[in-house]
Amino acid sequence: MRLQVAAGGPAALKVVAAAEFAAAPVRLCWSAPAEQPLSPLCSPWVPALQLDSGAVLFSPNAICQYLFLAGGQEPTDLTNQWLEWEATELQPVVAAALYAQLVHGKKGLEAAGHLGKLLAYIEQSLSGRGTAYLAGDTQSVADVVVWGALFPVLQDEASLSNELQALRTWFQTMTLSEACRKAANSVLMPKGLLEFKSYLQKQPPPCLAMERATSN
Amino acid sequence: MAAELALLEGTLGLRNGTKYGAQGERQIPVLQTNNGPGLTGLITIAAHLVKQAKKEQLLGSTAEEKAVVQQWLEYRVTRVDRCSSKEDTRTILKDLNTHLEDKVYLAGNSFTLADILMYYGLHHVMVDLTVQEKEKYLNVSRWFNHIQHYPGVRQQLSNVVFIKNRLYTNAH
Repeated sequence: MRLQVAAGGPAALKVVAAAEFAAAPVRLCWSAPAEQPLSPLCSPWVPALQLDSGAVLFSPNAICQYLFLAGGQEPTDLTNQWLEWEATELQPVVAAALYAQLVHGKKGLEAAGHLGKLLAYIEQSLSGRGTAYLAGDTQSVADVVVWGALFPVLQDEASLSNELQALRTWFQTMTLSEACRKAANSVLMPKGLLEFKSYLQKQPPPCLAMERATSN
Repeated sequence: MAAELALLEGTLGLRNGTKYGAQGERQIPVLQTNNGPGLTGLITIAAHLVKQAKKEQLLGSTAEEKAVVQQWLEYRVTRVDRCSSKEDTRTILKDLNTHLEDKVYLAGNSFTLADILMYYGLHHVMVDLTVQEKEKYLNVSRWFNHIQHYPGVRQQLSNVVFIKNRLYTNAH
């Protein structure tokens, strides 16, 4: 199977990390955004996985899910819940935070906006269940998907407040794992976060549901 | 969305009559379970109900099918549910029309949970389409009409009428 990833697209991190974790036999192809997408439904900045059957997956979370499934890890209620939460709650807020930071040049907390509430939710889940990983005592697709979304905005756990102890430990473990390190090195080199800037500049400013609600 | 889960219970033949909670301003459904903190989110609860009804085939049989089902469920809650303008709706219908060009169901040849939830999510859109628009998105219309007649799916939702013979020969 062939994993096509646009250098500089933020979802690149999680799919590359998932391929590493699942040790899936994928051929990784870095594409230029102008290149012909694998299917008409693929947006040029979003990773796409072409399976041996010819079918194309265009959703980063579904790609991660497939790679873990192929490695024998079935989804559970809990991994499903994290994937849905990441796609509907976390992603829009992270996109807005990255945009504020890279395009508008806002710093740290000022850019983080609504992220605090979501980080607190992860903290509560980890400490409430008392497990090392989001969906239990072993790594799952949930950890990779949530880590991949958070890494660009957190980068290192030092930016996390002391109250977020469980989150900090989990994030550190993930970031130091070989799969995540490899993914971060290949996606964020050589310019670090600036790799994402050209992508973000071409996007419309993110509009969060909560902001829309208050302006009405 | 809680109403949708009640429809799904009917489709799956579950007679739970569960009361769902709702969270936040998007009214995300919450299912209280006997053990643990409960489940949150439309896809998560829907997949849980499918397993409860012992109809796992609706989540896909192979790894590939499971991932494709997951992808369209995610598309439903991230794209279809966030449609805020006519323009967004057109993009969704165009995407789906392209995807369904050579497929019977969203995941290919098998009827899955993705078809059921996409049908629920698009119902209010399809009700409002003109005859000409229904013809423009012909593959979506064919798929939608097929799903609404699939045994047990429609439940209390209204039947959307599609005309058999095309009125507009140059709709494409």
